[in-house]
Amino acid sequence: MRYLKTLMIITLVCVFALPAYAHHVLGRPAYSLGADSNTPPSLQVETQIGDFYVTYMAFPAFPKPNEQGRVNLYASRIDNGLPFDGKVTFKVRDDSWFSNKVETLGVQDIDEVVYRQGFIFQNEGDYIITAEFESGGEPYEIDFPLRIGEPAAIGPIGVTVAVLIIILLVVNILQRKRRFSLKAKRAREEDNS
Amino acid sequence: MTMTHPGLPDLWLWFALASMSLSVLWILFRVPNNSSVQGFINVERIPVFGQLARLFSASPWPLLILKFISVALFLTVIAAGLFGTPIPERNLATTLTWTVWWAGLIITVFFLGSAWCAVCPWDTIASWLVKHRLWRRADESSSLGLKVPKAWRNVWPALAMFVGLTWLELGVGVTTNPYATAVLSLVMIVMATVYMAVFEGKAFCKHVCPVGRTVGFYAQLSMVELRPRQQQICTDCTTMECYHGTKEIEPCPTHLVMGTLTQSTYCTSCSACTMSCPHDNVGWRVRSPAVEAIQHARPHWDEAWFMLGLLGLTTFHGITMMEFWEQGLSKFGQLIGDSGQLIWSFSTGMVLVFFAPILLYSLLIKLTQWLMPSEINFKQLFSKLAFISLPLAFVYHIAHNLNHLIRESRGFTDVLMNPLGRDTLPLSSGELHMRHMNPLISEQLLYGLQAGLMIFGFWLALQILQRRTMETVNDQSTWRPHYLLPGIIFIISVTAFNLWLLVQPMIMRM
Repeated sequence: MRYLKTLMIITLVCVFALPAYAHHVLGRPAYSLGADSNTPPSLQVETQIGDFYVTYMAFPAFPKPNEQGRVNLYASRIDNGLPFDGKVTFKVRDDSWFSNKVETLGVQDIDEVVYRQGFIFQNEGDYIITAEFESGGEPYEIDFPLRIGEPAAIGPIGVTVAVLIIILLVVNILQRKRRFSLKAKRAREEDNS
Repeated sequence: MTMTHPGLPDLWLWFALASMSLSVLWILFRVPNNSSVQGFINVERIPVFGQLARLFSASPWPLLILKFISVALFLTVIAAGLFGTPIPERNLATTLTWTVWWAGLIITVFFLGSAWCAVCPWDTIASWLVKHRLWRRADESSSLGLKVPKAWRNVWPALAMFVGLTWLELGVGVTTNPYATAVLSLVMIVMATVYMAVFEGKAFCKHVCPVGRTVGFYAQLSMVELRPRQQQICTDCTTMECYHGTKEIEPCPTHLVMGTLTQSTYCTSCSACTMSCPHDNVGWRVRSPAVEAIQHARPHWDEAWFMLGLLGLTTFHGITMMEFWEQGLSKFGQLIGDSGQLIWSFSTGMVLVFFAPILLYSLLIKLTQWLMPSEINFKQLFSKLAFISLPLAFVYHIAHNLNHLIRESRGFTDVLMNPLGRDTLPLSSGELHMRHMNPLISEQLLYGLQAGLMIFGFWLALQILQRRTMETVNDQSTWRPHYLLPGIIFIISVTAFNLWLLVQPMIMRM
């Protein structure tokens, strides 16, 4: 019971001590906002951070290398719906395993309640766009995923096929071993008799 | 912009409430009857359905053809998820998996029992990979054939998987992500294959699969069952091919003996018993729904938790599609400093909703225990009466899913024609509105079905409660109707809350 209490306290402390900034947003795309506009399909992520609702849109949704693209960021206060009015810094980093290079895309002012940042990527890959701003003395940092080029769909299939082959091979080897040892056991028994 | 489906109108709500009140009065004041329900009709005597049932029992090929179709569709889902458009309403992966299959599956259980498990692509692909046979009995060396460890021989893993699946579905948003849907499908194939390669029979289906167990438990409320045609033939049988199999046909993959079968929970409708029985004594029959939950199914602690878990999670599904949930989540997220997709806030809410009915149920079981004339073990009573949660979960699950299926599946044929959704645009507000205004059946019929289902579930739960409570009273002369009161409070509370959820406008998923 004492251990249970300690565990509960630690869990509660962990939950309540969570920072309200710098979260990677694995966004759920929704499209209704831009659905009737003349713009090409956009990837939209809605999220909440600290005192703000933030909406992020990428145009086009799946930009290709060397193609002009744009991210739009809307930030409005949760309590009164007023838009954030300040400066937003947009940064980008490669989301691959062995890269930590960060580049600043630009610093943008509000333009009709939207922060717009253009980009062109030369290489295919997964990138993280980071939007940074400050409000009420609190730093805000929001990460959004951005894929340039076609997603690497063969990855999950490759992993699945590899795992299945390994399982089937291991079972096959174990079964062969089992059969041989059974044969050997029978042969020994026959010899003894 | 958020589109919402209208909730159940007041007229239907009052109709449901009036019917429920009458049901409670009837159950409290009628003379209790302990006789067992025995009536059934062999499906083979029913025109068309009988011929179909014969066809499936006589040869493995019809089932095999259905398996091929199911696997082909499943592989298309994976391809669409990985290579198709990420727009959820335009991709076959998300529309077929979540709007059509997952929503429709629960409805089919009432009419077809666990028939889905017979054509399940996860199990079919795993069987083909491990056994290298399309349907014939495999060489015993194809799998390690280990016995499942005793600690795992229960449905706790399936309950954990179901909780995990719900978390992924509603918390992480897999339902609106074709890529994640495809990856989830691949993970299920791997899990099914590992279990089949390592353990004997269909251990994955029996202990782990959240879909199989959900279908299995709901199958207790199905109007059909697979049973011996003549009990005496099974009683006299000494060879038990249904259990051991034959040279050609696999043994029962979940170790069921047809002669003693009283519960469909673990039957996967695989047809092995119908094909292996030398006396042609196994067949489908139509029965009174819930006869199993009322009198045949045996109580188990882990199964009781699964049934109560089903209840909590189905209600949770409904709650997450309410506007107040989104607002509450946002406020709670601010309170605890959660951000992004508010996963911590969501998880906390999920835990609360999951345990709320279980806690209420436990308290009422304690009360029932106190009211009973003779002493009865808490765990025993908890397990025995947990069957009342099954119809409550089942009917709300169907009523909720009908909304998705009837209001959101319009346009599915377009997705079938273009499963990868190449060159498609997201649904415009106009299209969303049209879809919203043109459900597959008339709105009044939908409301009628939803209200009718809620009354039906309430009625079944009362019957289960009465029968199972009576069974716990050793001396029938000491029976008093007030022993039922805690159970009735539970049934009323859950049904009233679920009805209230149905009355609220529901946010459209896609």
